[in-house]
Amino acid sequence: MSELKTPRELGTEKIGILLIRYAVPAMIAMLASSLYNIVDRAFIGHGVGPMALSGLAVTFPLMNLSAALGSMVGVGSGTMISIKLGQKDNESAQTLLGNSVTLNVLIGIIFGALALIFINPILRLFGATDVTIGYAREYMTIILAGNAFTHLYLGINCILRAAGHPNKAMIATIGTVLLNTFLDYLFIMVFHWGIKGAAIATVISQVLAFTWQCIQLSDKSELIHLQRGTYRLHGDLVRNMLTIGLSPCLMNAAACFVVLLINRGLLKYGSDVAIGAYSIINSIGFMIVMMVMGFNQAMQPIAGYNYGARQFSRVLKVLYLTMFFGTCVTTLGFAIAEFMPDLCIRIFTNDPELTGIARNGMRINFIVFPLIGSQMVIGNFFQSIGMPGKSILMSLSRQLLLLIPFLIILPRFYGINGIWYSLPASDILSVILGFSLLFPQVRKLKRMT
Amino acid sequence: MDNHYCICIGRKFCSGGRNIAAIVADRLGIKVYDRDLLKKASQETGFSEEFFDKADEEKTRKGLRSIFMNHLTGSGLSSNYLSNESIFNMQSDAIRKIHGQEDCVFIGRCADYVLRDSDRLLNVFIAAGTNDRVNRICRHAGEGMTPSKALSLIEDIDRKRASYYNYFTGRIWGDPANYDICLNSSVLGYDKCAGIISALAKERFGI
Repeated sequence: MSELKTPRELGTEKIGILLIRYAVPAMIAMLASSLYNIVDRAFIGHGVGPMALSGLAVTFPLMNLSAALGSMVGVGSGTMISIKLGQKDNESAQTLLGNSVTLNVLIGIIFGALALIFINPILRLFGATDVTIGYAREYMTIILAGNAFTHLYLGINCILRAAGHPNKAMIATIGTVLLNTFLDYLFIMVFHWGIKGAAIATVISQVLAFTWQCIQLSDKSELIHLQRGTYRLHGDLVRNMLTIGLSPCLMNAAACFVVLLINRGLLKYGSDVAIGAYSIINSIGFMIVMMVMGFNQAMQPIAGYNYGARQFSRVLKVLYLTMFFGTCVTTLGFAIAEFMPDLCIRIFTNDPELTGIARNGMRINFIVFPLIGSQMVIGNFFQSIGMPGKSILMSLSRQLLLLIPFLIILPRFYGINGIWYSLPASDILSVILGFSLLFPQVRKLKRMT
Repeated sequence: MDNHYCICIGRKFCSGGRNIAAIVADRLGIKVYDRDLLKKASQETGFSEEFFDKADEEKTRKGLRSIFMNHLTGSGLSSNYLSNESIFNMQSDAIRKIHGQEDCVFIGRCADYVLRDSDRLLNVFIAAGTNDRVNRICRHAGEGMTPSKALSLIEDIDRKRASYYNYFTGRIWGDPANYDICLNSSVLGYDKCAGIISALAKERFGI
C-alpha cells in the first residue's frame, strides 16, 4: 500500500476514467502471471507430447501447494512491512524483510526436501499413472530442487509491491515470463531436453529474477534493503507473519485440493489424456479469470474510497461499470471457447485425441462464462466495501463449497462429462448466490444516496 | 513539531485510565483525545466516522475469524481504503497532526508508538487489580451484570486491546519496557495517579 494519503481524485474524477487508469497496470500484471502457465504447457505439449502435458498437469496441485506456502510468507511479511513503512518505522520493516528471507529459505528447503522424499506417493495421489509419472517426476525433481528460489522470488515480489515498488515487482514478473519463454524454446525445441528442459527453464528464470530483486534491494538509499543482522528469526515476528498469511495459504491449498479431485475424477472416468485436456482448459479459463481480476483490483480502491466517503451513487456506478467490463471479458472467453475452441487448443497440442477431449470439455466448461464475470465482481465488491464475510462466502462457494458435491455426484451419472458439468453447475449456483446477496445491498445503497 | 508535549496513556480495561487522564488534563489545562481522534481523522480524510469506529481498538476480531477477515479486508497488499491498516494510518496522521498543534493527552490508539520519535512524550500505563475492575463494572453497569460476566468482559477487551496494539506496533501491550511509568490505580487511587503523572509531566517538559 504505497499511496497512504487517500487521493481525492477517487471521489471526484469520472468513474470510467478512474477504472481504466487503475485497471490497465493490474491487468498487465495478471496477464503476465497467467501467461507463464500457458507458455510452459504450450512448449511441453508441442515439443514433448500430449502425455507430457498430462504429466505436467498432475504436478500442478503440488506446485500450487508450494505456492500456497510461499504466499503465506509473502502476504504476511508484505502486510506487516507496509504497516511499518506507513509508520515510517524503517528499522522494523528492515528486520521483517530479513526474517522473511530466512523464512522463505527454510520453508522452501523443508517443503522441497519432504516432497522429493515422498515424490512417488504424492504424484500417485494427484493422479499420475504409469504412463505419466515418469514425466511428472522428471519435471518435479528439478522444480523441487529449486523450490527455495521459487519461494524467495515470489516472497520478495510481494515485499516489493508492499514497499511501494509495484513497477519493479511487475518487471520481475514480466521478465520471468519472457526469460522462461526464451529458455523453454531453447531447451525444448533446440536442445531437445524434453520436459526436464521446461523445469530447468523455470528454475533458471526464477533464480535470475531473484538475483535482480536482490540487486534492487541492496541499494542502501532505499527505504528497506537487505542488511546483515536482520536474518535471525524473531519468534513473534514469524508468528505474526504466518498468522496474517494463513488465509491466502488456506485458499490456495483449497484450490489445490479441488484440482486434485478433478484430476482423480478425470482419471477414473476418463484417461490420462483427459487430465492433459483439463490443464489446457484450465490455462485458458485462468487467463480470462485473471483479466477480470485486473478489473476487480482496479475497482477496489475506487469503491472502497467512495463508500467510505459516503458517495454511494459513485459506488454503484463503479460496481455496474466493473460488472459490465467483467462480463465483456468472460463473454469473449465464452465466444472463443464455443465457436472456435480449436484456436486455443492448437496453442497447446496438435494431437487429435487430446484436441477432441479438450474441445468437448471446453465447450461444457465455458457454457455459463458470460455470467461468471459479474459473480467475480460481486465477490470482490463486498470485499472492497468492508464486508469480507460475504466476499469469502462467494469465493469459497464457486471454487469449493458448491463444486465439490457436484464433482462427487455428477460423474456417477454422466461419467467424464459429469466432471465437466460440475464446473458450470457450481458456477450457476454461485451466480444466483451472488445476485441474491447483491440485491439487498444495492437497495440499501440506493436508499442511502 | 516537538514544541508541544503530549502524554500517552495506555490502560487496562476499567482501570480508570480515562478518569485519570481527565484529571491530569484538567490540572495541566490541556485536552484529552480518545474516541475524538476518530472524529478528527474522519474530518481530515472525508471518510465517515463509522469506518473509523469499526476498525477501532476494541472492535478487532480475534482467532481464526480475524485471520480470514484480515486477508479479505484487503490488508496490506491491495490498496483498499477501508482496510484496518489504511484506517490506522489515517488515524496515525491525525495523532501526529494534533501533536504538532497542541499539548494534549492521548488515550490508547497506539499513540505512544505513532509518536515514538518525539522527545516531548510521556508514556504511561495504568493497570488495576482484577477485583477492583470487576467491582467497578458491576457498580456502573447496574442490572444484569454478574462478577463472572464482568470478568470475561475484562478479559475480552484486554485481549482485543492487546492484539490491536501488538499487531500495529510489533511491541507488547502493557510491557513495562514500553512506558516511562506504570501505575496501579487500585493501590494509588485516581487522584494520586493523576498527581504523579502531572508532576512528572511538569518536571519533564518544564511547565
